[in-house]
This record gives sequence, C-alpha cells and structure tokens, in this order.
Amino acid sequence: MKSNRRDFLKTAGLGSLGVFGTGILAGCTTQEEVESRLSQVKEQASRQYTQQFNMHGYAAPALDVVRVGMTGVGNRGSGTVRRLASIEGVEIVAVNDLEEDRVNEAIESISETHSPEGYYDGEDDWRRMCERDDIDLIAIATPWHLHTDQAVYAMENGKHVYIELPAAQTIEECWRLVETSERTRRHCVQMSGSCHSGDAAYVLNMVRNGVLGEIVHGEGGYIHDLMNRYNFSKTMYHNLWRLNENIDRHGNLYPQHALTPMAQMMDLNYGDQMSYLVSMQSNDFNMAQRARELAEEDEFWEPYVGRDYRGNMNSTLIRTHKGRTILIQHDVTTPRPGIRFNLIVGSVGTYHARPGRLGFSYDDGWIPQEEYEALMEEYTPEIVRRFNEMREQAVETGRAERSYARVNATDWRLIDSLRNGLPVEMDVYDAALTSSVIPLSEWSVANKSASIDVPDFTAGAWESNERGMRVNLESGGGTTRIR
Amino acid sequence: MSKKLDRKDFLKMSTAGLSTSVLAGMALSKPVVAKNRTNQGRPIRLGFVGIGGRGTWHLSAALGIEGVEVPAICEIRADRLENAKNMVEASGRPSPTLYGEGPMGETDFERLCAEEDLDAVICSTSWKWHAPIVLAAMNNDKHAACEVPLMLTLDEAWRIVEAYEKTGKWASTVLGGFPDVTLLNMIRHGVFGEVLHIEDGYVHDLRFVKNNIEREPWRLQHSIDRNGNLYPDHPMRTIMPAMDINHGDRIDFLVSMSSKAVMLNRYAAEQFGTDHPDATRTMNQGDYNASLIRTVNGKMITLNFDTNTPHPRESFRLQGTKGVYEDGADVETIYLEGPSPESHEWESAEPYLEEYEHPMVKNYNPPPRVGGAIEGHGRRMDQTPINWHNLIMAITEGTQPYIDTYDSVTSSAVSAVTEASVANNGRPVDFPDFTKGKWKERTPIFMEA
Repeated sequence: MKSNRRDFLKTAGLGSLGVFGTGILAGCTTQEEVESRLSQVKEQASRQYTQQFNMHGYAAPALDVVRVGMTGVGNRGSGTVRRLASIEGVEIVAVNDLEEDRVNEAIESISETHSPEGYYDGEDDWRRMCERDDIDLIAIATPWHLHTDQAVYAMENGKHVYIELPAAQTIEECWRLVETSERTRRHCVQMSGSCHSGDAAYVLNMVRNGVLGEIVHGEGGYIHDLMNRYNFSKTMYHNLWRLNENIDRHGNLYPQHALTPMAQMMDLNYGDQMSYLVSMQSNDFNMAQRARELAEEDEFWEPYVGRDYRGNMNSTLIRTHKGRTILIQHDVTTPRPGIRFNLIVGSVGTYHARPGRLGFSYDDGWIPQEEYEALMEEYTPEIVRRFNEMREQAVETGRAERSYARVNATDWRLIDSLRNGLPVEMDVYDAALTSSVIPLSEWSVANKSASIDVPDFTAGAWESNERGMRVNLESGGGTTRIR
Repeated sequence: MSKKLDRKDFLKMSTAGLSTSVLAGMALSKPVVAKNRTNQGRPIRLGFVGIGGRGTWHLSAALGIEGVEVPAICEIRADRLENAKNMVEASGRPSPTLYGEGPMGETDFERLCAEEDLDAVICSTSWKWHAPIVLAAMNNDKHAACEVPLMLTLDEAWRIVEAYEKTGKWASTVLGGFPDVTLLNMIRHGVFGEVLHIEDGYVHDLRFVKNNIEREPWRLQHSIDRNGNLYPDHPMRTIMPAMDINHGDRIDFLVSMSSKAVMLNRYAAEQFGTDHPDATRTMNQGDYNASLIRTVNGKMITLNFDTNTPHPRESFRLQGTKGVYEDGADVETIYLEGPSPESHEWESAEPYLEEYEHPMVKNYNPPPRVGGAIEGHGRRMDQTPINWHNLIMAITEGTQPYIDTYDSVTSSAVSAVTEASVANNGRPVDFPDFTKGKWKERTPIFMEA
C-alpha cells in the first residue's frame, strides 16, 4: 500500500489541530527526558573503546557504477539527489520520502538520465529501500533525528552511506555509527560541502604546505539567520521539525560547517585530537517573543508560546591534545550576515574569511588583494582544479546548465573514490567527532559551561593514522566526469 | 606660572557648544564622593609615578592643560626621572620634588603619597606596582588614576574596593582610554534592539616589545608566569557600558581557554639563537586565549587575547536583536534588519556613525593645549585627550571618571578570573560582585546624549 501525506498524518495522529500539544513538537520533551539524555552524554563520552577495524584509510572494493538510494527529498534532499545524479557512474535507483509528491518531483527532476523507483509507503519505507540488494550507497537528507538510525540500518544492509550533516545527535549515536562502520566495513561519510567550496580547500592546501606555519587557533560558526523564513515557517520543514529543534535543546546544534574544515587544518583524527570543550549560551531574546507575536495573529502558533527556546548565541571552545584551540559559534536567530569557517591562526600567518584575506605580520596588516589572489591561485588544490575541469567539460556539453549546476566537489570526490576503490576523504570518525560536539555542548551548557572530555572515536589510532582529506588527490583518482 | 584654573572658566572653555545634558552625562557617575572637596578655584595638583612610554605621554598630556600642577614625580630610572623633571620645568612650572632614587627605591612612591599635597596620583608603572601605588594614594587621601590593568589579583581588587569605600577616594583606569560613545549612543537609541552578544579582544603582536629588555624589562615575565587574558581592559571599556555591566547587569561567570605556547620560544630562537634561555624556557601564557563571559541577564561576551601570533588585528562585533555592527579595523560595517538595503548583507556603518556621533565627541572642544603635540607612547595629539578631559572634570567637580572604582576593578579582574579558569581546564569561575548588589540600582553611564 502506498500512503499519501494525508494518510500519514492520520496514522501518526497529527491530522487535526487538537494534537498540536502532543505529537507535533518533535523536540517537545519532559524535564526528565532532558536530564536523562544529558546524563547519558557524560556516560557515553567517557566510554573506553577498542577499535574493531580501522576505517580510516580503508579502501572498499571499486565500484564501476555507484547505485544510489536517496532518502529524504524535501528542502535539502531534493537538491542532493540532483547533485548526485549529475555525476558520471551514478545511477539513482530509488528515492524515498514520506510524501509521494516529493518523491515524484524528485524522480521527475532527474528523469532525463535516471529512472528510480519511488518509496513513500509510510514512515518505515526507507528500510525496504535499504534492504534492496542492488544499491551501493544510501544518501540521507531526512530530519536530523532519523540520520543515525537510517545510516546504521543501511550499513547493516551492506550499503555505504552519505549523510547530510549532522550525522548524529547523541554520543550514543556517534558510537553506533563508528561501531557499525567498522564491523560492516562500509563507509559512513558526512556531507560537508564547506570543505571543498569557498576558501576552505585553498587554505587547507596552504596549511598542508606550511604557508601559515604551525596552526594554533581557529574560529568559525554557523551564523545563519533562519528565524522567519525557516524556523517560523509552516511549509519549509515537515511538521516544523527544524523549529522544534530550537525548543528544549541548548547547545551548538550545527557545528560541522565551521568545524570540519578546521579539523582538517588541525589534523584532528590523524595527528591531533580534541581533548575537551566548554560551551556557553546567551538567553533567548527574540524567539519566544516571535512565537507570542505570531500566536496573536494565528492560533496555529499557540503551541509554540511559552516554550523553552534555545538562547540566541552559543559559543563553544575546544582544546586539542596538542594544545590548539577552536572557537565555534552557533546563532540562527539574530539578523546578521552569515559566517562559517572564519579564521585560522598559525605561527607564520593568519587567514580571515569574508572577505578572504591573509596576513603575515601585525604591523603590515593584511596583504594586498593582488598578493592574496596570487597566493590563492598558487595554492589552488588539485581536487578543486580537477573538479572544475570536469564541471567545465559538462558545461560545454550544455548539460550542466539547469539543476546539475550545484554539484559540489565533496559529492564528486566521494563518488570518484568509490569508483576508483580509494579511501574516502572524510570517514566515520570525522562524522562522529564533529557530531559529538552537539551533545557535548548541550551537556556543558546544562552544567554552567563546565568542561567535558571529548571521546576519541579512533580509540587512539589518531596518533598513527595517515593524514585524511588529501586535497591534492595524493591517493589517486580524480577521473570521474560530470554529466 | 600659568593662571589658576577656575572651574567655571574650565567649563566655559572646554564645553563651548555642549549642551548641559552632555555635561551631565560626562559627570553622571556620582557615587559616594560627598566627602571629596571640589577643586573650584584651585589648581589641580597631580603626582606622577612611572615615567616610561605611557607615563611620558600622560605627563605631556597633563602639562598641556592649564591649571594643572605637577609638584612631584616618582621614577626609578634616573634618566627618565631627569627627563620628566625637564619636561615639567620646560612647561614653566616649578621644579617638581623627585622620588625613586632614594634608599626606598621601588617603594619610594609611598613617601610621595604620604608627603605630598596632591589631588590625584597618576600611575603608569609596570603592572605589578599598579595596585600598591593606587592603594598608597587612596590611603593617603588622594585619588588614583591608573593605566590598565588596575591590579593583578582579586585580593588587590577587594583591597581597592575597601579603600574606596573607607576613604571616598577613587581609583580609575581612566588613563587607559575612552569608550566608543557613538556606538553607545546607537545602543541607547535602540538601533540594535537588545544587545545580546559582544565580541572583541586584544590582538596585537607584541613579541618585539616583550623582548625589548631595555624598554620593558618586566613584560615578558607575565608570559612566563601567567596564562589567561592578561589585557582585558581595552575591549572592556566599551563592552561594559554597552551592556550596562555594574549598572543594571553584572558578570555572572566566565570560562577561559588558552592554546599551547610556541611563539615566544621560536621568536627568541630566531632573534637570539637557540642557545638563548628564552628559546626553551617554559612560557605559561598560551599564544591564543579565548574567554566566554556570561552576565546575570543572560548576555554574552567573547574576548580574544593574542599578543604572540602574526595576526593583523582584532575585530569588534556587537549583536542585537535588530542588527549587528562590526569594526574590522579597516572598515566598519553594519547590518540592520529593515533599514539595511540588502537582506543579510553588510553595508558601510559610516552614515550611521555620523548620524549618531555622540555630542560629547562631536562637540568636544577642550581648552587649547599648551606646548604642542603630546609626546611619548600614544597618539601624537594636538588636543587634550578626552579621557584626560574626563579625569580633570572628575577632580574639578568632585565626581569620578567615567570608569569609576567598581567598574575599573571589574574590568581588570577579568584577568585573574580567566587565569583561574584556564588553570582548571576551562572550569567556569564565578565573577565577584564588587558592588555587593549595588549593580541593580546603579544607573547606566553616559545616559544622556
């Protein structure tokens, strides 16, 4: 039986206004549940773990064709499936979502080159998709709380996974990802387009070449005003799940955009490792007020009045075993131009984003624009050069125009690695480490910014692991074209 | 010598064009100073302690103001003491009594504080002497105007608070500079809505200065012995009034984290050779320090401190519920939801800064300086700096400088509290309430514009 959206709402008990107070607030939890979740953070973070198999540097057998099943084709996933569809060697064979319309739209959007089967028969239909034996990779772009369960189930069924960030919400989920990936020897890759786009890849290449000297400190954040267009939108997210994540959760919920590039510049998981962190949060100065204002006009918003909204500004300080510091901020509710990866400070030089600039001396200030551009050109990493070549070729054929235009180098390199039988650039340890900052920051905020040790998901292997994220295609490959 | 400065004259000369409300704003902090005499009709008598780079600049600033006398100077280095004496004499004032060379040496400031008849002591020594000098001044019936930081330890901080409450003599870091009152004016006018986060820091590569033994033989030692945010006062002097710290809100607690220390060893190795002791000596101070501060009203401050890396400079950012302002040193930008033309795009802050320029700054018109531009370590100004004007006004009117005793102590105490946090893996450390509850009642400074 294929269910449509109305049926789903009915079975889930969400079909009428009367249920707003109970089920619709996914983030709605009791005080006991919050406390229980936080106490588990501390327990799970101090877990001693012995690696079953080191997935870092692991190369899975090469796949000529990468057959993809996509789950979650809403806001984000509808783009993800188009991006993946535009890479040579990818065959989108299945698309899953709760909503039939979304599935059909996604299928239609790639129909020129792919003929996937749709899965929209209720909440668990993604499992049926994962159980197919003709899929190599499951791509996940569902609401956050589903990511880990889906990834684990996919790996258990022999699939590699590619997860929209964040990969996990709890430390327990981080461990499940690591254990499952190691046991099944399936890749678990968290999407982090920020690592290959913008300046981050260039700066990483400079860092790897010693241009900035020894890295001491980095800063970034997810500063992105989601207040009205996203959070307080009835239509942008299924059952307003994104707004619900702003209720009863206090911490940095989205550290990856800033953290993943900095982790690579600091060799985290392969040369250095996070040691401990502290996190602090301001009060909420406008979300509760916004909910009240909206409810005065429209009773739809009444369940959102008087809720425990996350403070506007969260800042988290992380210290590594080798003494580096990282500051990451999270603010999605104040009016402010955005920030992601923002600053890296080395013993020789400093990079600052927006606008990108480099400085090598306090007295001389930032270097002139021409010199900056020349350095960026000189240190353009091979991964970017090759990816751009492939895109240009695709543009020449006229196909990269429309929907394919937004394919990014992270997508491309993942498929390229799978097809060439290479290790992936970002593995399960990177997904777990950067995701663990979410619950750890929640624990710290709940404990008056007390410091908490960051678990070592590599179980000590970080000291001997070879460097990951080889931006100059040192491990080979780079042969995959873009359609 | 110079004619005596009458209060009325001083006000007339200094505030031509200022409205009375601005004057009220400049002198707004009026706590327990009832027993202070005012200086109406008398010259202002200042004793200087410490005549290094900053001390020279302050002395030069003071000598440019008519009606200020400098009857006493204390400095432990003979060449500097001689130079200061010459400066005073060259200004046409009587030769000052000199301290610092006698058997008491480093503590000769105590004799100066005990024996001289002064309104205030101007302290610009190395950091560790600030609190002893300030306390000696206060306990000898003199105000103390000090360079930053006011003190190093919380014990010293409390002793300064007690001395203030006992003697009515104030201690102020007014010598450190003046807040960005134009930004404050924008906040007071609600341009940013409610201010919820401010980020600033002191990012200034001082490796050369720390290793300049001739000029500042004391500074490197702080990097050897301590680890925290050692220089919070410059950012705090604007942040505190912007968030009404001690005037309606107060600092609740903070956490602080420092990176490893590699820069100073490398610098010494490169400059002096790998055999030099500083090339391998343990430097406690991490090259980068970041501190997160939370107020009881739920607002946040992020402070950076980095005096060792080749980082071009800090940037200031203020976030409110209606918009954000950033001073990136090269360019000041703003984004206001509604007024700004492009959604979530920066625009130049210049028109706003012009529109909201604080009358205190816009109409600032002090009496002409005597004797040319100010000498020493600081801006070469042809005009009396506004913080010096504020200091003289406070003495003249029997009030306190804009940054009063409680605020000065609070600002400088950030160092000691960050050190306690860094030493314990970033443990949260409660911040002392030096006002003992008075923060709830104290009115914001510079309210009127």
